[in-house]
Amino acid sequence: METTAIQVRALSELDIGDIVRIAERTRHAYRPELWEDRVTYYLRRDPEGSVVAESGGRVVGFMLGDVRAGEFGIEEPCGWIEVIGVDPDCGGRGIGRALGEAMLKRFRERGVERVRTMVDRSMPDVERFFESLGFSADTLRSFVKRVHD
Amino acid sequence: MANVTTTELPKKYHDAVVRWRELFLPDFDYLLQNWDRYFPRDPRFKLCAFRELGMPCTVEVGQDQGKPKAERACEMRSEAAQHLIGAIRAQASTEFGSIQQHQLTLARAQDEEEQAMVLRMMAEELRHGYQMLHLIVADDWKPVTGQSSEEMVEEILSMQTGSHVLGAFNIDFESFVDNIVFCCLIDRVGKYQLAMQKVSAYAPMADSMPQMLREEAFHLATGVVPLRRWVVKAAAGSPMITMEVIQKHFNKWVPRGLEMFGDERGGGTNVKLGLKPMKNREAQDQYYLEIQKVVRDLNTRYLRARLSGLDAAAAEATLQELERDHGRVGGVSFDELLRIPDRHYFRRRGEPSFAMVGRDGERFLDVEAYLVHLTQTLPDGYRATRDFQDYVAALRQVASGEKTAEEAGRSMPQLRRVGGVCPCSRAVRWVADESVELPAGAV
Repeated sequence: METTAIQVRALSELDIGDIVRIAERTRHAYRPELWEDRVTYYLRRDPEGSVVAESGGRVVGFMLGDVRAGEFGIEEPCGWIEVIGVDPDCGGRGIGRALGEAMLKRFRERGVERVRTMVDRSMPDVERFFESLGFSADTLRSFVKRVHD
Repeated sequence: MANVTTTELPKKYHDAVVRWRELFLPDFDYLLQNWDRYFPRDPRFKLCAFRELGMPCTVEVGQDQGKPKAERACEMRSEAAQHLIGAIRAQASTEFGSIQQHQLTLARAQDEEEQAMVLRMMAEELRHGYQMLHLIVADDWKPVTGQSSEEMVEEILSMQTGSHVLGAFNIDFESFVDNIVFCCLIDRVGKYQLAMQKVSAYAPMADSMPQMLREEAFHLATGVVPLRRWVVKAAAGSPMITMEVIQKHFNKWVPRGLEMFGDERGGGTNVKLGLKPMKNREAQDQYYLEIQKVVRDLNTRYLRARLSGLDAAAAEATLQELERDHGRVGGVSFDELLRIPDRHYFRRRGEPSFAMVGRDGERFLDVEAYLVHLTQTLPDGYRATRDFQDYVAALRQVASGEKTAEEAGRSMPQLRRVGGVCPCSRAVRWVADESVELPAGAV
């Protein structure tokens, strides 16, 4: 598998099973309903805005996102990368980079000037990954409050 | 966010589509009123024609490859224009036809979310039909068809289930299972047709396809996602849905889906004329492979629901073992799983038309035994329909030598408009039209 080329293409409904499989490996939870809802959401909004990576005819990674405006005080249309998953068996092959570059290209083609994402500080690998794609820290910060004790 | 322009039809045509919508899509207003509830943050639906910008401006396949694409029908070879308008009419007919079919059983959905998805899909099919009418109205087709745009639009808007150009759109739905399986299987054919037409040598057709394809992606999810959830319910022993019911609906629709690609031996003319990049058999092969993937996905989902504790790899291994041995694993038998009907099963058009081939590829020599097999493998409600009755009559004629398979395929009665000028006249009758034949490769 290591020598097989990586191909990136648009997300389709046929990828749900593979996304569930990869997410189960990386997040240690089998949650098909969650991913059915998420994939449907992205497909109905912008099916070309999310991508999967294939190697040897098998889905080995995915990146989901879309273009939105008017959120968090950001009025301009902005590309958002919201979810990324790479099959742990295929790590270190540049799959994440291939997915990221494809997403950035698609966002550029849609005329957006900025692409945003949010990264948990407890995940420095992910932070480094986005920095390697040219992302830098922004002034927008995440706030959270628990409403149930 | 895509790079598109939008256009409305001239008022009288736009109003005609709105009147059609009021008649055949009565829940449209409900959809718009509840849009933000079901589809929060999604752009609101707009009835208009889209045209993609930045598409290739030279012919991509066929004998004129590399030459500029046609912007007007009069710039095309006569043969190409004939084929093209046949395809546009067929596409328009299917878009409006599917709404009429879905409306029959929309109210029978058991799940509100699934119902809303189908309703949105119906509205988008209306827009796709509108897009095709735009192609008819925005050009002068009279030298090609002998009909004015007005006449062609009226003809399309007056069609009802039974009179549509393609067979799959003449079959009544009997339950909401039809709505969902139709989205999964028949809209998938639509995806192939749209993707192929994206290279059309007629630029307005090619430029119409990207937005339709974007919307079609959601229509396919509208089929696949409920099916993924239904197989879990079936695995839990739900009385509301079973694997057998889903299987029978696959048996009903897969043959019609295969036939929508046109005769397996055809399609070369469309490639030569630069209208599509693939012949019928090649596209059909890809479609069949794709629905194999759908079925494997559903079976995997079913197995994980039936056999708790399986992870993805174990489910895959279990499925492979069941497919290989046709036996039982962990209390699940191969017969519980979904399978794709053989490509020659229950066919009435194309290379295997009226060949008596069973669901799993078995051959029948006796027509009555074959009919028993069909009644056992098709949905109960469908067996009582006019469509099945016509098939049975035609099959008997072929078996007795009274007609060839090709003649039988052509002679099955269809509802056709036989009079009336108002788009809402419903002036259609059952007629057996022996001479009716699609232009070669129109689909």
